[in-house]
Order: sequence, then structure tokens, then C-alpha cells
Amino acid sequence: MSEAAVPRGLEGEGPLVALIGQPNCGKSTLFNALAGFKANTGNFPGTSVAFTRSDVLVAGLPMRLIDLPGTYSLHPYDAAEQVTRDFLLSGQVDAIVAVVDASVLSRSLELTLELIETGLPLVIALNMMDDARRKGITIDVPALEARLGVPVVPTVATRGHGVVQVALKALHASRTRQSGILPTYDRDIEESLGTLIQAMPAELSVRMRVPTRFLAARLLQDDEAVRQAVGKAHPEVLTLADTQRRLLAEMHDWPEESVFSSHRHAAAMDLFEDVARVVRRTRDGWRERTDDVLMHPFWGIVGVVAALGGLFVASFFVGDRLAGVVGAPFEALMDAIGDRADTSLVWAMTRGLVEGLAGGAGIVLPYLVPLLLLMSFMEDVGYLPRAAFLIDGLLHRIGLHGKSVIPLVLGYGCNVPALMGTRILETTRDRVITALLVPLTACSARTVVILALVAGYLGPLWALGVYVLNILVTALVGRILSAVVPGHAPGLLMDIPPYRLPPAGTLARKTWFRIREFLVEAWPVLIVASIVMGALQFAGADDWLNGLLAPLTSGVLGLPAVVGVTLFFGILRKELSLVLLYSALGTANVASVMTPAQILTFTLFVTFYIPCVATIATQVREIGWRWTLVSAALNTGVAILVAATLGRLA
Amino acid sequence: MTLAQAVPGTRVRVVGRNRGRRHEANLAGLGIHVGDEVIVVRSAPFDGPLLVEVPASGVRIAVGRGMANGLFVEPADE
Ligand SMILES: Nc1nc2c(ncn2[C@@H]2O[C@H](COP(=O)(O)OP(=O)(O)O)[C@@H](O)[C@H]2O)c(=O)[nH]1
Repeated sequence: MSEAAVPRGLEGEGPLVALIGQPNCGKSTLFNALAGFKANTGNFPGTSVAFTRSDVLVAGLPMRLIDLPGTYSLHPYDAAEQVTRDFLLSGQVDAIVAVVDASVLSRSLELTLELIETGLPLVIALNMMDDARRKGITIDVPALEARLGVPVVPTVATRGHGVVQVALKALHASRTRQSGILPTYDRDIEESLGTLIQAMPAELSVRMRVPTRFLAARLLQDDEAVRQAVGKAHPEVLTLADTQRRLLAEMHDWPEESVFSSHRHAAAMDLFEDVARVVRRTRDGWRERTDDVLMHPFWGIVGVVAALGGLFVASFFVGDRLAGVVGAPFEALMDAIGDRADTSLVWAMTRGLVEGLAGGAGIVLPYLVPLLLLMSFMEDVGYLPRAAFLIDGLLHRIGLHGKSVIPLVLGYGCNVPALMGTRILETTRDRVITALLVPLTACSARTVVILALVAGYLGPLWALGVYVLNILVTALVGRILSAVVPGHAPGLLMDIPPYRLPPAGTLARKTWFRIREFLVEAWPVLIVASIVMGALQFAGADDWLNGLLAPLTSGVLGLPAVVGVTLFFGILRKELSLVLLYSALGTANVASVMTPAQILTFTLFVTFYIPCVATIATQVREIGWRWTLVSAALNTGVAILVAATLGRLA
Repeated sequence: MTLAQAVPGTRVRVVGRNRGRRHEANLAGLGIHVGDEVIVVRSAPFDGPLLVEVPASGVRIAVGRGMANGLFVEPADE
């Protein structure tokens, strides 16, 4: 798996096959079905923002599979769509799998027509066939194949139907290099295209591995990437393209940018009418009624609050039970080691090892598993866009974009994908503000700290209070940022997909994928840091670090100075603060050493201060290191302010 | 009238749009075109977006107030 904005390091065996489709067409599900479940899926426009790669064997033949971000058209309106367009023009793609949502066939066909124009070998995966059938849509697959000149494979990605066939056809297409039937436009558009094609340099088409006709059409649609590719050497071609574009707009009396899209729309509608029959359009009983409640102006808001609240309460109760059961044997082991840890370095490090293991298995995982499972469910069932719909009005009051809800809600799971999710925002302003807010949201690692410390020692209601406070503080900071950062939030425009009950297998796989990320990436860090901490303690170096941080920890925050080292390591992973707290205090019963007010202060500080290194790294990539520094300062400032004032009050 | 003024539950036809900001131009990509009939299904609280359905394609889209103010519509016969 790899991520990059521009394809690099794509070498490998077999043809490079790109999966392209509109958001929510089931592309990631199809990809996962093919990739042996290596990647992540989500029923959310823009969950898969950077591309994911997987090398697969189909019938013993290798293939490099790329899952590109969902895009509505080849004209990019946001950063994620740009990734897809750029990839397509990179000259690396050997075949395209156009994933089409059969239940909204006419709209999906517009993108398909655009893709066929690239002249690249293409196979259509006609996905969501079950949904289409449910809606009473029947599709004449051979007729569609004949009209487009490309293979069409009906699929139900969630059940794996047709999936292998798609891969085989894609392999075949990449070998025969057979492309589809190029759509033709009105005579005047064709004339403009002809004029431009004459003037276009031939080498460009060779380098980008797409037909000159496609490049000319892109120029007439004011495609920035193609303009740049042409512009350097051939400014006169650009001038010609501009003239022709204006001419066409005048002739059709249309805005320049919609000359081509209107044509494609008409062509897609024609095609749809010829190949599809809508027998009945029954209103979906339960889906409609569910929306009557969940999107209701009042009950919907109640629902959002209940859903988020329920998520954490449920995670706490399940997590608490599990933690007791799983944690017990580790406790026994720790007792057995006991004072021996002070006798030699080996024993000190052994205790660190056991603590690291216990922290992962006995503290983090019990809370993480139910939380991630429930979040995956909310994501896959299609609830998040509805929450965004309901909260958009409120967010606009504080000067934010309604779509910001999506990264912010995702932030409560993990800040890293949430930051990548900011790419669905159209303007830089919104992206920066949202990316500054995401690290303030209490991700699952911090949730674990809140649940284990505040819920565990002060009670679940207190933990819920910390959550509400977290949301209020994030909103307040958002309000301030949107007043400070110039610009305005553009209107919301977002697909609301139908509710889809994700099959248990899909859900389990997705949750497993995220948990595996913790197991292979975070847990080792936790264990190593824990061992290092054991050694540091043995050498007495933690005292030095604690002394260094004492002005903050005991001075400003009124905490025992021994927590200094836990806050320091917490920057690596937030769970570390919790795991190391036990060893720093020398007991698993925190309440015997810290007062409830101190526990609250500690948790509040951990919740808000500098995010973990993974988040910082992602932030640098998304908004640059300057803003990342601003973000770190912001987080620390907020953390000190909130923890110091509220800790004193409690 | 504009889409923002349409009463939830009614069917309207999009007749034109305020041109301007290019980053807001993706209506067509999501499936709303000039000439399309759409149903205003419901509206969100706090002056929030409208939920619009395009019956011809079955697509449902949330359209923010600002955007809805820039879309001109006329009542469509049932
Ligand atoms: N009914 C049905 N649901 C599907 C199918 N393929 C995917 N889904 C579901 O549709 C939702 C969106 O799928 P996802 O792969 O995340 O879409 P993406 O945004 O295109 O990557 C998920 O809830 C999937 O479980 C299908 O063929 N039929």
C-alpha cells in the first residue's frame, strides 16, 4: 500500500489497473474484494482520499490495482478529484475499471463517457445491481456493451459477485488495448475539436498516452493540468483553444464550462433510456421512514447527539467489562515482578515490556474494538452525510462549511484519516481551518484515556462531560479561526446516499483493518516506549525529564511531577500517556495517588495538547509545516488554558 | 423564484442559475442540470441545506442555502 499525490514508485509486475468511479459507488468494496481485504472502505464521499495500491494475483496473473478517490467528473472541484484526474493523465495507467452505481445509472454514465474519451482500455463494473433491482431498474447489459464498445460486468461488490470477472476482463483489456467507442459531439463542437487537433503537438499525446482528441477536448473544457502541459512549449495552442471555447459558448448560449458537460448529460440520458427500463419506482418504505426521523429538523438533531453520545457510552460499558477480564492476568504478572524491577536493568525493562503488553491488550483494545466497530457501522450505513446535512446550518453560523463535519466526526475515530478527509473541502480556507480543528477532536486513543481515567474514576457522566466540553471548545476555536482567517464558506453540495445495511463481514473486515493498524503500528511503539521508560526509570533519567517539565506539570497544572514523562511520550502515541501513567505512578490504581481534580486536569491536558506524531506528519503533508506549527501552538495553548482553569474549578 | 424559496414536498424545474464562483459549479457533476425537474424533499434546521431529489436519476443531494439562493426554479406540474 502506498500514498502519494503524484504517482511514484508504481513499478511492479503486471498491468496497472485504476479503479475510478463516483463517490459511494462501492469502489473501495470492490477494491477490497479484489485486494484480499487489504484496504479501508467507507460509505462516505471522500473517505478514500489518497490512492491505495494493492498487488493482486488474478487466476495466477499479476496486476497492480489502484483505488483512486471518488470523483463526479474529470473536472476537479476538490483536491481528491484532482488526484484522480492527475493520475489518469500520468501515462501510467494500462486499464481502467469504471465502477458504476447501477442504481443511479444515468448520472454515473456521464463520468463513464468522459473516461471512454481517454482512449484507455476500459471495463465497466456495473455495481449495486441489487440496489438497482430493488429500485425496479433493469439494465440490458449487452445493449450497453454494444453502445459503449467496452465489456460490462454486473457486480454486487459486497457479496463478491462478478468481482473476479471484472479483474479478468481488465487484464484482457490491458493486453488487447481495446478502448471504447468515442462519443461524438454536435457538429460545431466537432469542428472546434478538429481545428484544435490540427494545432496540437503530437508528442504530448505520446507522452501522456492519451489521444490528441481527448487532450483537445480537455483544453476546450479549460482543464488546468492539460493547459499547463501544453502551455510551456505551445502558448499559441492555448490562445486558439480559448478562442474556440468562447466561440462555442456563444453559439450555444451556455456558460463555457457547461458546453461539454451538457452534451455528456444529454448523451448519458439517451443511453440510459435506451438500455435501462424502470419498471416501478416504489418508495423505499423503511428507508423513507427512517429519514423522516433521522433527518427531521428537531428529532434529527436529537439523533445526532444520541448517536455520538451512545457511541461513547456503549464503548465505555463494553470496554470497561472487557478491560477487567483481559487486564487481570497482566495485573497478576505485574504483581509477580513486583519490586524486582528496582534490582536490575533487565527486570526494569521486563516490567516495561509487560506494561506495554498490558497497556495494549488490557486497556486500549477493550475500548478501541467497540468504538471502531460502531464508528464503522455509522460510516458504512450512510449516517455521516445525514449528520452533516443537519449540522450544516449551525456550522455556517460559526463560519464553517457543513462538509467540515465529516472530517471532524472522523477525527473522533482517528485524526490521520480525518486530516486526509479535509480534501473534500473545496477552498483552501476551509481546509486549513478544518485541519487546525481536527487535532482538537478527541480521537479514539484519547477516548481511551478519557474512558479509562475519567469514566473509570469519576464516573461515565464526567466522561461525557469531557466530550461535550471537547466539542464546545472545538466549536469555539472554530468560531475564532473563521473570524480570523479571511474568506467565506461556500455552500454545501453533497450526495446523500441511500441507507445501506453493510454486511457483517464487510463491517468486521473494516474494523479489523483499523485494529490491525493499531496492532502492527501502534502497539510495537507502545511496547518499545514502555521498555525504554522502564530503563529510564531504572537509570533515574525520568526524574530529569520530570524536573524539566515540572513548571508545567506541577506549576501550572498542579499535577504530580512524575506525570511529566508520560506527557512527553504521549506525543508518540496518545495511549502511551495512559499506559505510562500507571508505571510512573507505580500503581494501577490512579485514584490512590491523584485526586479526582488532578485526574480530570491530566485527562483534559492529554485530550487537547500536541497531537501524536502520525497526526503531525499528516498535517505537514496536508497544510504545510507553517500551519502545523500554528496548530501545535494552538493545541498546547488550548490544553493549558482548559486544563488549568477547569482542573482548578473541579 | 429560487430553489431556497421552494416549499418542501413540491416539485420544481431548474430554469437557470447564478453564474459566478467556479468552485461552486459542480452541480452538474452531482446530477442537477438546468432543465431538470427536482423534488424538494425536506429542509434542514438553522437555515441549513435542502434535500433535493432528481426523480429522473434517483439521486439525492443536499444543497446548501447559499447555493439554493442562486438556483432559479419554477413550479413543475405533477
Ligand atoms: N447493496 C450494495 N451495497 C454495496 C455494494 N457495493 C458496495 N456497497 C456498500 O455501499 C457503501 C459504499 O461503498 P464504498 O466501497 O465505501 O464506496 P466508495 O465510496 O465508492 O469507495 C458501503 O456501505 C458498501 O457496503 C453493492 O454491490 N450492493
